[in-house]
Amino acid sequence: MNDTKATRDASLIENQRTTIAELETPVIEVWDGILALPIIGTVDTARAQTMTETLLEKIVSTKSEIVILDITGVPVVDTSVSRHLLETIAAARLLGAEVLLVGLTSRTAITLVHLGLDLTGVTTRTTMARGLQLAFGRLGLEVVKTRPVVTP
Amino acid sequence: MTTEQRVPIRIEQDIVVARQSVRELAGRLGFGTIDQSRIATAVSELTRNVIRYATDSTGDMYVREIEGPRGKGLEIVVEDHGPGIADLDLVMQDGYTSGGGMGLGLPGTKRLMDEMELTSAVGVGTTVTIRKWRR
Amino acid sequence: MIFPIVKIGNCLIATLTEDIGDADAMDLQESINTRIEATGASGVLVDISALQTIDSFLGRLLNEIATGARLLGAETVMAGMQPAVAMTLVELGLTLKGVRSALDAERGLTMLGQHLNGGGQ
Repeated sequence: MNDTKATRDASLIENQRTTIAELETPVIEVWDGILALPIIGTVDTARAQTMTETLLEKIVSTKSEIVILDITGVPVVDTSVSRHLLETIAAARLLGAEVLLVGLTSRTAITLVHLGLDLTGVTTRTTMARGLQLAFGRLGLEVVKTRPVVTP
Repeated sequence: MTTEQRVPIRIEQDIVVARQSVRELAGRLGFGTIDQSRIATAVSELTRNVIRYATDSTGDMYVREIEGPRGKGLEIVVEDHGPGIADLDLVMQDGYTSGGGMGLGLPGTKRLMDEMELTSAVGVGTTVTIRKWRR
Repeated sequence: MIFPIVKIGNCLIATLTEDIGDADAMDLQESINTRIEATGASGVLVDISALQTIDSFLGRLLNEIATGARLLGAETVMAGMQPAVAMTLVELGLTLKGVRSALDAERGLTMLGQHLNGGGQ
């Protein structure tokens, strides 16, 4: 029957789309409750939507409260890219997650200021490491050295 | 031959009827949950405009499955017979609000769908056609 | 329609079904305000985990519920928004910044913790 084949095809396409999305948007659970999403390359509307979709699904499945969005690998942060990022941040917030934006360069910062976008409530840090530190702090976690480092 | 579904818009509760029936149809046609949400929300905006602004709050929604170069899709037409929109450019601007302060939700609807066409004439009525293609 | 609003400690909990019409949504808004006033509740949890569609009207209404509750001395948390709904809302251009949000009802209640134990106000 056409119905069954159509349903099967739709299922297959849905699965393949999910796989492609996952490969394009590596959402990493760096710690219990903390997700990291390093974005490499340009972000167009289609990619932004897939990215947000994957991120939201991961927030739900891992019950994460913090997302570190790393834009170090994004070459150009213009109006459209900024809008997409702000949308992703807003969507994650609606699911109860706080988003930390890391990887901003001074040039990106100036661009964002010039664009006049509403960045209130968006917490930023310059590096992933700093973002992680802040994330741990938010969750009441601390990294403590338990013994001296032994170099061979 | 694909059938066309008609949902009359007469009372406020028809907004819910319209968006639920279109969501269900979209699901059956193989649209994913997010697209179902986009389509249902777009229909909600358009049918609410009919209830709020159309003469006698009366209008109709037509839903049909369509075929195109990109494959299958859904076409929805929401039409009323008055009063019509005087300035189409104005209502398509983000931030435009009508007298009730609620806005017509048209720019948002356009963002949610793949295609949108709006025709309107004062004293005649308004027809909004939206399309979403299954990816 | 009558919406069941449950009170636990100093918190009101309203659970929405998978769709809610405009009139019912406004009834809910009124009910929440009335209950806050009558009970002195300092926390409101709106469980939207079943809700499938939030358009511009309902989105603004949720903002209004939070603002109204705040004026009456109560904090509002919206819990369990479905990912598809969140994406659609954001594409529609609404961020609901006026309402706090939680991943699920459990987290939401944790956020309103102090109010559960009869604290708050």
